[in-house]
This record gives sequence, structure tokens and C-alpha cells, in this order.
Amino acid sequence: MIDWFNANWVLIVAPLSVFVAFCIIGLWARSFVYNRLTKLLSKSGWSGREILVRTTRGPFFFWIILLGAYIAFMISDLSNPTKDLAVKIIASIFIISLIWLLMILSDRLLALYSEEIKTPRPVGKHVANGIRVTLIVIGILILIDFWGWPITPILLLLSALILVALVAFRDAILNVFSGFEITATRLVKEGDFVKLGSGVEGYVIDIGWMNVKIRTTDQNIVVMPNSKLVKETVMNYGYPLKKAGAPFQFFTRLHLKELTGLKAQNLTELIDILKTAPDAVIYYHTYHFLEEHQYLTPEPANDFALWVGDALDDDVLSEKLANIDTFAYSSISALREALLLALEQHLEGHPGLRDKRANRELYFIKSISFVLPTPYVASDLREFVEVIRKISTGSLYYHVFESRLRLQKRSNDFSVWIRDQFGEDDLADRIDALFPYTYTLEALRSAIIEQVEKRIK
Amino acid sequence: MSNEIVKQFTNKLEDYQPIVGKSTIDELKLLASRLARKNVQNVNSTYVGGGVAEILSRMVPLLNQLGVNAKWDVIKGDDRFFDITKKIHNALHGRKETFSSDDFDYFREVNRKNQDILWPAADYYLIHDPQPVLLIERKNDLGGKWVWRCHIDISQPDKKLWGSLDDFVERYDAAIFSAPNFTQNLSITQFMVSPSIDPLSDKNKELPTSTIEAVLDQYGINPQKPLVVQISRFDYLKDPVGVIQAFEMVRKGIDCQLVLAGGTATDDPESDKVLDEVRNRADGNKDIKILLLPPGSDIEINALQRAATVVFQKSIREGFGLTISEALWKAKPVVATAVGGIPLQIHDKLTGLLCHSVDGAAYALKQLLSNREYAEMLGKNGKEHVRQNFLITRHLKEYLLVFTALYNTSDIVYL
Repeated sequence: MIDWFNANWVLIVAPLSVFVAFCIIGLWARSFVYNRLTKLLSKSGWSGREILVRTTRGPFFFWIILLGAYIAFMISDLSNPTKDLAVKIIASIFIISLIWLLMILSDRLLALYSEEIKTPRPVGKHVANGIRVTLIVIGILILIDFWGWPITPILLLLSALILVALVAFRDAILNVFSGFEITATRLVKEGDFVKLGSGVEGYVIDIGWMNVKIRTTDQNIVVMPNSKLVKETVMNYGYPLKKAGAPFQFFTRLHLKELTGLKAQNLTELIDILKTAPDAVIYYHTYHFLEEHQYLTPEPANDFALWVGDALDDDVLSEKLANIDTFAYSSISALREALLLALEQHLEGHPGLRDKRANRELYFIKSISFVLPTPYVASDLREFVEVIRKISTGSLYYHVFESRLRLQKRSNDFSVWIRDQFGEDDLADRIDALFPYTYTLEALRSAIIEQVEKRIK
Repeated sequence: MSNEIVKQFTNKLEDYQPIVGKSTIDELKLLASRLARKNVQNVNSTYVGGGVAEILSRMVPLLNQLGVNAKWDVIKGDDRFFDITKKIHNALHGRKETFSSDDFDYFREVNRKNQDILWPAADYYLIHDPQPVLLIERKNDLGGKWVWRCHIDISQPDKKLWGSLDDFVERYDAAIFSAPNFTQNLSITQFMVSPSIDPLSDKNKELPTSTIEAVLDQYGINPQKPLVVQISRFDYLKDPVGVIQAFEMVRKGIDCQLVLAGGTATDDPESDKVLDEVRNRADGNKDIKILLLPPGSDIEINALQRAATVVFQKSIREGFGLTISEALWKAKPVVATAVGGIPLQIHDKLTGLLCHSVDGAAYALKQLLSNREYAEMLGKNGKEHVRQNFLITRHLKEYLLVFTALYNTSDIVYL
């Protein structure tokens, strides 16, 4: 044995020396390469650099040792079949370690990106498992091929399985890839106000692997699959504007006509009824035409003026009543007094008209108002303007016309909110200055939108 | 039976969205959500024929689509019963009718026999017109809110008859009338809900040009010549002869043609006489066509209205006169007399022209035929007026509001 060692020690020591040398070189090379690499990656600002360095540092050294082992075997005096076997084992260990490294690396990078785009946990887990399985399959196929075993049947089976999986999870796969596209291109970001071609609009509140969630102005959450979103026309208004401390809740007002049974045939009866009729009656006859004839501009006069002109043929009094700006009064009682004053003043000069019989009776109708909260809420001016586009004319009417009577001040709900919440006095004044009689309700809506858009552009 | 009628109505609430806007549909849903699963029973006297059945055949399915459990039943009666109710209807309209001493007792007896059709689970009973009005006698047993929906003008009724009916009407929680001038002095709450047209019905839906041309061709109407149309049954109250007179005055100076189209009322023996008179009056005038349309000619009526340059409704007396809204919906300038519910639909010189005589009708027609821009403006305004005030969606909304108002008595109700 000693004799054999004396005769062959070089054949043993040389490969061992090479192996040990590679271990030493490996330690040095790892330190050198990773110092350089760390500096280089620091400049790039890539958020995954630490993961890359931390994950590959160990395997890098291990692979140099494997290289040392390979060269040691090559220069050894072992028989060729033994060498072949050793090379195959070393190569297999390399392939396994490479696959293992890729698995760890993809896991960690995935975790990093999932954190950045807030991927729902189950989705991130499914994607990680998918990558792991894919890597393991690829590794096994390489090993089988490397060891010379038949690979074709396995490839066929795998192809079939992949095809089935692609068909079964087509939508999910499309969504995942579209999710990458949305994130990479920054199509939308959390907090953006977006309008989609399909009509969906609102703030983006969540971006996931599978879908994007949008909170609409009527407080619904629309879950839009990523694959659909990338096909949409997206108008992105960017980040939200200043938020109001108290969001604006839009109400709507519907009305029903109640017949009071009261009717006037002459001015005496008109005056008597005007004095005692409920506010809701005066309100109906001075305001309803704004809503019922909203397609007309300028609006027709109030019912009393129309009746006096048409049924009593008294154009002068009709003009006097028509000229009473109902919009200027902040209470029905003040409006009632103004109407009575105009009638009494006119009759003082024309006492004979007091009992002149009209050619048709004026029937007094009471307006019963039903006020309901709508689902629409605006917390900033962007949401506000988008809701204004959508609300009914009843809602617009309620906030612009009825508000003056309700609030007993010469302003509308919109101006009050804009002034109180944002201190935007100019904008509030401009909306207040829109004289409603010169607009149809639809034109008034457009004018308000125009004013607000000018401010937020 | 009501189920079959209701099933024939296949429109969805959302089908009305392109016409009235999303916000209107949303508001209906919002309001109906407050009445979800409430039971509403409608009772009238027929499933087919007449404006009430036409409206109910649409209203009931739409209420159900909104989540309200609405059903529709009719009272049953023999010929004698319906002869009496016909006389009651006429007498409420102010026509002189003769009632035998036991007519009212029989009317009451048949109403009592029909009491078993009432739905005990109903929260609201909507009783339409005078025929089933005495069903109110079950109110105390069944509870719920009872509303008498009067579709006719009872402002000048036969006093004796009204004296027999008003005690029953006063037992309802509320009454609904179509116009302020159709009412009676009642102590109960009276709401005003105008009738409506369905923009998706055969009578009002959009028609392809080819259909309109085919109808004109079918009746030998020249599509190149200005066309004046009056659609109404042949009845003195619709003044068809007055329409011919007005047309003839205008025809002297303006080349145009007139079509008087309508049916005859089977229960009106005068109808055929009027038709003969009208035919004789028009005889020899190649520019006047008298068309006797069979029941169910909705597409033909629609096409004639759409082909018209000007639509006439020169009634001497009228109910609500929904044919006005039908014509306005087609953006046609309308000349009509200021009777019944017509002034609610036509605001003179804004949504059409009102007249009070044959001369006035001729003058208005001349204005419209010679000034197309003015005619177009009136037609456009008229269409918008109908869109906002006389479509079935508004009608639906007001019924929902009436149900809500029955439990809320203040002038401003916060829901």
C-alpha cells in the first residue's frame, strides 16, 4: 500500500491540490466579483439588487468548487468510465443547484414585486408555485436528457398538460400578463381618477395581478379584469385633488301634484287664496315651470302671470307679475308678499278689475316634495364635476333652486360647499352668478361643469 | 288572463334608458327600493281595449321589474251590468242618462259579487274608474290603502248619480285625477297624475321610412304634398267637419292634403252617421281622404302621424286627449282646441298652437304650413315637453310617489 502510494502520490496530490486551489480562488473571486457587482447594482437603483447578491453569493462559491472538482477529476488517473460518471454527477449537481437557485431567486423577487403592487396573497402564491413547478420540470428534463434517457414521451405528455392548462387558465394567464403591462407602463396607478371607454369612472383603489379595483362616484367598487382594462380607452386624470373635509352628498327631489280643490275665477279670489294657501301651493305655481319646461329658454313666466294675461286679458298686470323674480326671494312668504303687493297695487288703480270674471279658472295645485339621497358622493372637485354630469335634472334643481329656499340664503348648495370646503370663493361666486332663468337645466349643468373644469385643469 | 296580457309586454325598464336618460331610470329604482315587496292590486273592468287597459298592461310589468309586487284583476259582469256602467260613465261625463230604480242596486250587487277578486295581502288597492268603485265596501275588512284612480272628467257629472257615488268615493284614502279641471269637491286627498304614452309601443316607436312609405302607398297618399292629419274616432265631439272646413280655407292658398283617420265606436250609434256625414262633406275633394281604420291599426296610425306635416285635434270636448302627446312625441306641430287635458300638453305658441274656432284652426294651420322653421320649433319643443311630462316613466314615478305619500302627510317628505 505504501509502495503504491510512493509510486502514485502525484496522481493523488495533484487533483487534491487543484481542488483546494479552486476553493481558495473561489473565496477570493466571490469577494472580488460581489464587491464589484454590489457597486454596479447600487448605481442602477434596482430594488432587487440585494436579493440578487444575497441569493447568488453562496451558489457562486459552490459552483467554483464544483469546477475545481471537475478539473480534479479530469487530471486524475481514474479510468475513463469513472471520469465520465464523475462528470455526469458533478454536472447533475450543478443543474440541481442552478434550478434551486433560480427557484429561491424567483420566489424572493416575486415577493418583492408582490409587495410593490399589492398582489393578493393567493394570486402571488399561485404564481410562485407555477414558476417553481416550471423550473423543476425544466431541470428534470435537462437531467434526463443529460443521462441519455428517452425524453420524447415525457415532452409529449408535458406539452399536452401545458396545452390543457393554457386553455383552462387562459383568462387568468391573460390577466396576469396584462397586470405586468399595467404595472410596467404605469397605465394607471393607485389614486388616479380614470374614465374608461366603457363608461366606468372613479378612483383606482387597488391594482392586483388579476384585476384593478375602481371606486365609482356612486360608491360602488368596479372590479375590472386586467386583460379588459388594457383593451379599454383610458382617460387618466392623475392624482386626486384636494379632499373635502365633508364630502358632498347629492340628493334628488321628486314631486307629486296634489289638487287642493281651490280655484280662482277673478282677482279677488286669487288674492284671497294667495293670502292663505300653503307655501307648497305658492311654490308650485312659481317654480314648477322651471322643471316642467326645462327645454325652453328663457323660461315661461309663473302661473299667476300667465293666467292673468291669458284668462283675464290683463297684459299690464301679467307683465308686473312676470317681472317678479321668484329666484330673488329666499323664502316663500317673501315671494307671497311680493305677489300680493303687485296685485293690490294694480287693483288700486283699476278697481273695476277686481271682480272681472276670467275665461278659465285657475286651479291651485300643491307640490309635495320627496327628497332622497342618491348614491352619488363627491369628495373633491374632480368627483364633483363627474357627478354633476350624471345626476338627474331633479337633483340639479334641488341643489340649485330649492336650496335657496331651504337654506334661506341667496346661494346654492354647490357654491356653499365649494366655498366652505376648499375656500374657492371665486369658483363659488361664478356658479352663484349663473342666472338660472337664462338657461335650461341641461344648459345650467353644462355651465357649472365648464366653470369647475376651468378651475381644476 | 292578466298574466297573459302582462307577459306580452316584453320591454325592460332599461329599454327606456336611451329615451329618458339613465338618471331617470336610476331615480325610479331608488324610489321603488323604498317600496320593495309591497303588494299592489289594480282593478278595472277590462283587460283589452281602451286607454286604461293599455296603460295597465305596461305599468304592471314595469312595477314588477322595479321590485313592487303588482297585479291586475278585472271585475266580471253581465251585459246589464256593463250597460249600467256605460250609462254611469256617460252621466259622470255630464251626459243626460236615464237610470231605472234598481240600476244602482244591480251595480252594487255585481260589485259585491266581485269582492272575492280582492287580494287580501295587498298593501295598496288601486281601483280604476267607476265600474269597480264600490269594491271599497271591503276596505274595513281588508285594510291597506285604497286609491280611486279616476281616468275620466267628472267635473260636471249628473248630480243625482254623483250623489249616489260620492259617499263611496269619500271612503277611499285618496283619489287620482288626470287634470285639475277633471275633479270634484272631495274631502279626501286628490292627486294629479296625468296619463302617459309608451314611446316603445307600436303606436309611438320609431318606424323605418319604408314602413311609412308603404302605409302612404296603401292609402294612396301623396308623399310629396304637405299632409294634415287628424286621428280620432268619427264622433261629433271631435269635430271632423270643422277640420274639413278649416282645411278647405287653407287649401285655397296652399297646396296640401288632409287625412281624417280613425275608427267608429261600437257602442255609439252616432258613429256611422258621423262617418257618412264626413264622407259626404269630403266627397269630390281629391285632397281629402277619409280612412276608417280597424282596431289594432297602431302601426298605420304611427306612420300617418310621422308622415304628417301638421297634426290636428279639433275636439269640441275631450278627455285627456293623449293623441296630442302621440303626435308631439313624433315632433309634429299640432293645432288643437283648448279643451279637456289638451292645454296641459299644448302651451300655446310654445309646444303647439291652440285654437277656439274653425277660423282659428285655419289661421294656425296656415302659419305652420307657410313657416316650416316655426313649425319645426314647436314640434321640437313639443317632443321635449312629452319626454319630460307624458311618458310612461313619469307615470310610473308618480304612482310610486302616491304610494309613498299615503304614509307621509307633510309637504316635504325626506326619505
